[in-house]
Amino acid sequence: MKNYWITWAVLLVFTVAMLWADAMSIPRTVFVVFMLGAMLTKATIIGGNFMHLRSERLPLVLTVVIGLLVIGGLLYVLIAPDAVRIHEMVRAAQAK
Amino acid sequence: MVQRSATAIAGRAVMARWDGGVCPFDAGWRKVMMWWFIVTDGLLFGGFLASYGYARLLAFHWPDRAQVFSLPYIAAMTFVLITSSATMASAVQAAREGRMRIALRFTVLTAIGGALFLGMQAYEWRHVIEEGARLNANPWGDAAFGAYFFLLTGFHGTHVLTGLIVLVSTAIRAATGRSTTEGVEMAGLYWHFVDLVWVFIFTLFYLL
Repeated sequence: MKNYWITWAVLLVFTVAMLWADAMSIPRTVFVVFMLGAMLTKATIIGGNFMHLRSERLPLVLTVVIGLLVIGGLLYVLIAPDAVRIHEMVRAAQAK
Repeated sequence: MVQRSATAIAGRAVMARWDGGVCPFDAGWRKVMMWWFIVTDGLLFGGFLASYGYARLLAFHWPDRAQVFSLPYIAAMTFVLITSSATMASAVQAAREGRMRIALRFTVLTAIGGALFLGMQAYEWRHVIEEGARLNANPWGDAAFGAYFFLLTGFHGTHVLTGLIVLVSTAIRAATGRSTTEGVEMAGLYWHFVDLVWVFIFTLFYLL
């Protein structure tokens, strides 16, 4: 049970670090990279420790993680053409 | 001969990790189904966040979040949810050790955290609506902002509400001696998923 509260403390430290980074005037690119890194680290900690993915069997872990990453990535790529097309349509309509 | 038996041993070692047939994931059907649900629901949130990302990248003027939200307040909501996740993990651990009374206490604490989070979100929604935000318009900038705010936080809030119902039901079952370790574990998996999704919404919508 102690491990869960250590995990909780680590998650809090990451959250506070993110808020601290937000309050500082950091270059935008560094800020975005830091935020995305912290977000993914927090997600990994929650998945690994709280959801016990660390102690699950490898096929289950791979099915869940790769399923999410591959299909999620595919989803993102498939939305891109429509997103850009709608953007161009809006711009064209506003230009008229 | 020696090489062939070494290959056979290696093959069996691989099969031990990838064993098909009776129980390939070495987990009960409830757990496997809960994981399928989490993956598909995660993809749904992934789709929402992807479309939000594009809408934001292509917007003429995305509202300044400092003008709309109180970040310390959102941070407090995050604190409540992370803490409730820790209490839920403790409930699962206690249930695994057969200490159902302690599991019940931690489940109740988690439900209180969930209710607090929902109350805070309702207050935030009220504030944003009073400021003039609607699904199709808002006073701060691009019209899509309101739609994505209500969609993302509303969909997540619905999950928190569902989790709260599951937690209360689990607590009642534990109090009456009808709950199983697996039942508490399933409630825990769902609750951690709700926390996991919030990590993404908090970063992508409120901080970036």
